[in-house]
Amino acid sequence: MSQKIDKHNGLDELKDLLIKEEKEKIQRIERRLDDPMVRAKEISQSLPEAISLSLINGSHIPRVLQPVIDESIKISVKNNPETIATAISPALGPGIRKAITSTLMGMIQSLNHVVNHSFSIQGIKWRFEAFKSHKQFAEIVLLHTLVYRVEQIFLIHINTGIVLEHVVAGDIISQDPDLVSGMLSAIQDFVKDSFQTNAGDEIETLRMGSDRSIWIEHGEHAMIAAVIRGNPPLDLRIKYRELLEEIHMKSGMTLENFDGDTLPFSIFRKRLEEGLEFKEKKMQKRISPLLACIFIIIFLISVMWGVNVFKTRKSWHQYLLRLKNQKGLIVLSAQKENGKYHIYGLRDPMVKDAQLLPGKKSEKNINVTFNWKPYCSLDPEFILKRANRFLKPPSTIKINLSGNIISAMGEAHQAWIEKFRKTAMTIPGIHGFNDKMIKNIDMNKLDAAVKKLAAVKLYFQSNSTKFIKGQEKILSGAVDIIKKIRKLQSKVKTNIEILIMGHTDSSGSERVNRRLSLERARKIFNLFIFQGIPPDFLTPIGIGNKIVLAKENSTKDRQYNRAITFKIFYKNLKTGQIK
Amino acid sequence: MIKKKICMLGAFATGKTSLVRKYVHSIFSEKYHTTVGVNIEKVQVHTENDDVDLIIWDLYGEDEFQKVRASYLRGASGCIYVVDGTRKATLATALNLKKMVDNTIGSTPFILAVNKSDLEDQWEIDMSLLEGLQQKGVFVVKTSAKTGEEVKKAFQELVKEMLCK
Ligand SMILES: Nc1nc2c(ncn2[C@@H]2O[C@H](COP(=O)(O)OP(=O)(O)OP(=O)(O)O)[C@@H](O)[C@H]2O)c(=O)[nH]1
Ligand SMILES: [Mg+2]
Repeated sequence: MSQKIDKHNGLDELKDLLIKEEKEKIQRIERRLDDPMVRAKEISQSLPEAISLSLINGSHIPRVLQPVIDESIKISVKNNPETIATAISPALGPGIRKAITSTLMGMIQSLNHVVNHSFSIQGIKWRFEAFKSHKQFAEIVLLHTLVYRVEQIFLIHINTGIVLEHVVAGDIISQDPDLVSGMLSAIQDFVKDSFQTNAGDEIETLRMGSDRSIWIEHGEHAMIAAVIRGNPPLDLRIKYRELLEEIHMKSGMTLENFDGDTLPFSIFRKRLEEGLEFKEKKMQKRISPLLACIFIIIFLISVMWGVNVFKTRKSWHQYLLRLKNQKGLIVLSAQKENGKYHIYGLRDPMVKDAQLLPGKKSEKNINVTFNWKPYCSLDPEFILKRANRFLKPPSTIKINLSGNIISAMGEAHQAWIEKFRKTAMTIPGIHGFNDKMIKNIDMNKLDAAVKKLAAVKLYFQSNSTKFIKGQEKILSGAVDIIKKIRKLQSKVKTNIEILIMGHTDSSGSERVNRRLSLERARKIFNLFIFQGIPPDFLTPIGIGNKIVLAKENSTKDRQYNRAITFKIFYKNLKTGQIK
Repeated sequence: MIKKKICMLGAFATGKTSLVRKYVHSIFSEKYHTTVGVNIEKVQVHTENDDVDLIIWDLYGEDEFQKVRASYLRGASGCIYVVDGTRKATLATALNLKKMVDNTIGSTPFILAVNKSDLEDQWEIDMSLLEGLQQKGVFVVKTSAKTGEEVKKAFQELVKEMLCK
């Protein structure tokens, strides 16, 4: 027995000797395989690498994991919705914003369309077209501006022809989709039966008119029919094809066993709506030449009108300013009534119409009515003017104004001078006058005549009242002078008294000489009266030889004292003074 | 909402179109406009349990020149065979059509509408004949598209049968 045991032990020993190392290795491996913790630890080390490797080789991992992930999300939402909500909330905001923005953009776009096209000539044409064809205006606008637009999409169960889902673009009014889809199926059946087509041949496009067509894509159990306006790009078909494949993949069984319940297909609604594409024609905004012309004409007219208004305004203001600056005028108000200007104010009558009325070229268009009340302007210019008008000074007189004092300078006749003195103060605006610089023409003439007369001497023969030779001429000259004086004196309102003084030489007695001299004076007096000079202002006197006219150094000199001289007195009428 | 396709089948001028129009639009016209191809109508039927959208394919009537196309029958959940009570031959046509339907799309719920009941005095079809059919399990309704008699019933009975199946 022991031998056996020994033998057995010996074998073990031998085994130990031969494969001890390997045995230990195997035991270790066994332990590793048995202990799930160890295995898990090891897999966890290589798992990330394995996943990335498999992704590179075109992996199935996402597909395999998808149900798991779906399930775990479901569980997570069920157990703790908070976590998911927090996780997706950052993405939610922008998403909602984007959706709202795109909806708004769509609205603005369509609004833009209608507004853009409502007011153009094109728009009016289209309105007429809409009226003629009994279509909505918006529809006509779309028709002309779209390259294409997918108006409706039907998802149709092929076998029954029943509509599974149906989507319509915004404002399209569609017929009952079931009827349309039924007819669509029937038409296809009819065509297929009638033309004995090959298996797999299907109708792909139906056309109505020039711009509307139906695109049909066939799947095994369902088909997509898209009602399209315009000319869509061919890749749209590919899109529908892919959509159809997706639908078959997701709901193939439901389609196959379809029993009239369309509810399960509502999940494709969103995807179908995405297929409602449209693309707009870029409208070249060419303004029609007629419209452009009208615009230009209107523009020019308004520019011209504007310039005109500006000009008349400007000239009106300038005119008004001129009136306001015009002396002798006080503009109280200026108003525009019914396109006509009315000016109210005060006007000095001396302001001439020509100074008032719009005269200049720029003022020609001004239509104005005046409402003046007369007044007296106390402007120096006007006082002076008024004075000139009142006084009517002769051309030899110049009238000046300094302050309120009027002064006249130059020569004038007595009559005018008197008028000046009398009326100067009655002129409005004049408080005093100065006549010192007026030379009285009449007085001057009188003075000159008096002077002349004073120088006249008439000579007589010795001891006689007979003239010496050549005195007649002097005598008649004296008569003329006296007549002149006579005339002038009444003009200047002065009384002149003329003394006819008789002289004698120194020979003879004083008594005789006095007598002789008086006689000589009397002779002249009589001669004057004879000549028609009134006697009242002539007084003959004899003064003998009291006033010596010339020194008598020789007998010849005596002749100078046998003479008549004249002495003239001024007697002011008013004062009675004698000059 | 459940949608079901049904077909109106029968000889020409039996009143298929008239029945549908009476049922869907409540109108009737004495004028005869033969149907070319298919007319499709839709109507909602209310039954005790369910509301059903019926898509009615009103097919052209069969005559010696024109057989009904099998392709129109595809996907139908029920059929109404319309017989003109005043013409005996139309019953045979209806029965033939039923055989055709059974062959192409399998046995399908159906009812037999014997129409123009308002002209019952001119009928060529015996009552006993119809009773015989009824005993065989065929649901027979005597309808009049003109008066509207039993029209509603015809459609509702078919729907009932379809939903039972
Ligand atoms: N008196 C009477 N006339 C009917 C009735 N139903 C239909 N008719 C008349 O029968 C004629 C044919 O009716 P339709 O409904 O057009 O017949 P249909 O079966 O549709 O005919 P097809 O389409 O040609 O196959 C018409 O003139 C109808 O007025 C009915 O119930 N009573
Ligand atoms: Mg008909």
